[in-house]
Amino acid sequence: METKQFILIGVAIALVIAVAAPFLASGDPDGLESAFFSIYGAKPFMGSELDEDAAGAAEEQVVAATGNDFSYEALMPDYSIPGMDKTGEVLAVVLGTLMILVLGVVVAKISARPDN
Amino acid sequence: MHIPDAFIPVGQALVYWVIALIFIALALRWARRSMGEEKIPLVAVLAAGIFAIQALNIPIPWGTSGHMVGAALAAIVLGSPYAGIFVLTLVLLVQGVIFGDGGITVMGANIVNMGVIGGFVGYYGYTGIKGVIGNAYAAAFIAGWAALFVSAILCAVELAIAGTFPLVPALIGLGLYHAVIGLIEGGITAGALYLIASARPDILERPTGVSA
Repeated sequence: METKQFILIGVAIALVIAVAAPFLASGDPDGLESAFFSIYGAKPFMGSELDEDAAGAAEEQVVAATGNDFSYEALMPDYSIPGMDKTGEVLAVVLGTLMILVLGVVVAKISARPDN
Repeated sequence: MHIPDAFIPVGQALVYWVIALIFIALALRWARRSMGEEKIPLVAVLAAGIFAIQALNIPIPWGTSGHMVGAALAAIVLGSPYAGIFVLTLVLLVQGVIFGDGGITVMGANIVNMGVIGGFVGYYGYTGIKGVIGNAYAAAFIAGWAALFVSAILCAVELAIAGTFPLVPALIGLGLYHAVIGLIEGGITAGALYLIASARPDILERPTGVSA
């Protein structure tokens, strides 16, 4: 397979995953969040019921414990575009994928070994 | 496994940033010495693909989900643990700054856990296991699993030091969930390596076949 074709197929696979992810991804807490909620009593360790109130309280508790109250308003929080629904999520992940592609080329170009 | 800002006190978070910056500098030195210009598109595509697949949370038991991290794959394909750090730093930077996934003050810890540990455990796990059992894809599966699991264990220790979690429940919780999520990491690492090796065996720094 030619390099150009190989790279284009790679980009295509990344974009297909990006478009599909918002529809297929599980909304359950990830491993770290799940451990956090179960340790703070908002979710059974091996169960799936999340107590939303306890989860909110846990988030306040942890800020009090670490003192790190740094907050930051991301442009597309949680891979969504504020005010848009599923379309916004697809757009967010696709834009992120393209952003990384461009950033990857630029940063790799700057830092690569010069070929003489 | 992206740690949010609130989970680690700022002072400790800065220590992880310093460690991360040392490894980022080493990764840049690796790139200058060993990453030829012909690798630029591959690095960018790997980073983009890893970003996309990180958005795909796969359900595991116990009301929990997990996703691929990808540092092991990048390290194996590009032939250096520093490649894993290079790629994951780009991914984590965009995730944190643009999408609020993973904190800003704690980004150093996330780079250390997923990029550094993922890259080193993934790369040396792969080369070591492949040397013993001879099968590249089985080695990639085990290395991917181990990269994710060890990252989670280090994450548990950091959060215990931070005072966020007590140590033992943190080790059990993060360990158990990520022992399962590691199967996703191992499976996709082995599968992607197979696809890349089938399409372009020459692009790999180390061939997947058994050397004669």
